[in-house]
Amino acid sequence: MSIIMVDVKSRIPIYEQIIASVKDAVLSGLLSADEALPSVRALAGELAINPNTIQKAYSELERQGIVYSVPGRGSFISSDTAGIEKQHRSQLLNDLEALIREAVRSGIDPIDIKTLISKIQEDDKR
Amino acid sequence: MIGIENISKSYGDIKSLAEINAAIGSGSIYGLIGSNGSGKSTLLRIMSGIMRPDSGKITYDGKPVYENPEVKETVVYLSDEQFFLPNSTVDEMAYLYSSLYPSFSKIRYNELIKLFGLEGSRKISTFSKGMKKQASILLGLACYPKYLLCDETFDGLDPVMRQFVKKLLAEEVVERGLTPVIASHNLREIEDICDHIGLLHKGGILFESEIDALKAEIHTVQGVFGEEKSIGEIFAGYHIVSETKRGSLTTAVIRGDRKAIEDAAKAADPKYFEIIPLTLEEIFISEMEERGYDYSNVVF
Repeated sequence: MSIIMVDVKSRIPIYEQIIASVKDAVLSGLLSADEALPSVRALAGELAINPNTIQKAYSELERQGIVYSVPGRGSFISSDTAGIEKQHRSQLLNDLEALIREAVRSGIDPIDIKTLISKIQEDDKR
Repeated sequence: MIGIENISKSYGDIKSLAEINAAIGSGSIYGLIGSNGSGKSTLLRIMSGIMRPDSGKITYDGKPVYENPEVKETVVYLSDEQFFLPNSTVDEMAYLYSSLYPSFSKIRYNELIKLFGLEGSRKISTFSKGMKKQASILLGLACYPKYLLCDETFDGLDPVMRQFVKKLLAEEVVERGLTPVIASHNLREIEDICDHIGLLHKGGILFESEIDALKAEIHTVQGVFGEEKSIGEIFAGYHIVSETKRGSLTTAVIRGDRKAIEDAAKAADPKYFEIIPLTLEEIFISEMEERGYDYSNVVF
């Protein structure tokens, strides 16, 4: 099993899948700082997908500061992954906001949501 | 780079290609999609330099290919109907190819024969259809061409072999900048390996584009937007390709950047909405409909 997985039948563009895959691997600790990403050649051969698409995804990851590249050696995970963690947190907040709005719209009392948050905080302290 | 300039070709009074223009960048994998009789094979034959167009020219890195051995040495054409000398073995065909292509590599040939699991000393006439196809692919790759023109190359290969050939092509693209042009009637078959696609229909290129760019600029929005504002008002300034309503659920295909469409949808405070990317096939259908063609006439 590879760290980077792609579903060619999916509606989501392949290069977006690669970007998401690398980000997930960083967040879950599968890839850590200064670890090498598979080379474009290896990944293209393994997944039988277009190498230019992989290169494009790696360039975008580099632009976002998630990876850095060393000419002739390949792409590596940045030592500073705070950016991606921050991005992940803001994404979570966004999802949470949408979910809470839906909950309130469906008739859940906001007080109950607040109680839930307090309960989670209590559980964490223990 | 391959330049296709004003190519026209007729067989008697049947017009096969009408003033085709395209440019294919080196190192890219170009998919040529079209139904049966759309002119794919004719275009590839002209691109290989073996058939003379009625008008126009094909150039490789600026040099015309027709009657030009120097350029033809860099181009391998994998015909849909493979040709092998009568009674020949794969080894004998390799000998023939090595005399035609100076870049032919015996080492690479031996490697590929092993990878494909074929017997070089066996007569090709005893091969199955799929094995003949494999033999033509490996002979072509052993020539180390800069350009590889593939006519329905994945047809007749089993799924495992198809995937294997795609891997080989992808590796050759990275390693030495091979430029494959893959003609197929099946979009789904080649959309994973190609980065550019051109759609050939009735002898003309209907449109061509980079796949990722195509996918990035058109989206389906599905949501419950209420009655206050119409879709046209919510997404003012965007091109709305199509719009359907089922009960309270609206589905609209809209051109534009994903983030911008998402923001516009959010601003309308919908009860629910989501943005779904289109499949390449759906994009093609909408592109064709916008150009006034009925997609049902084109097989994917």
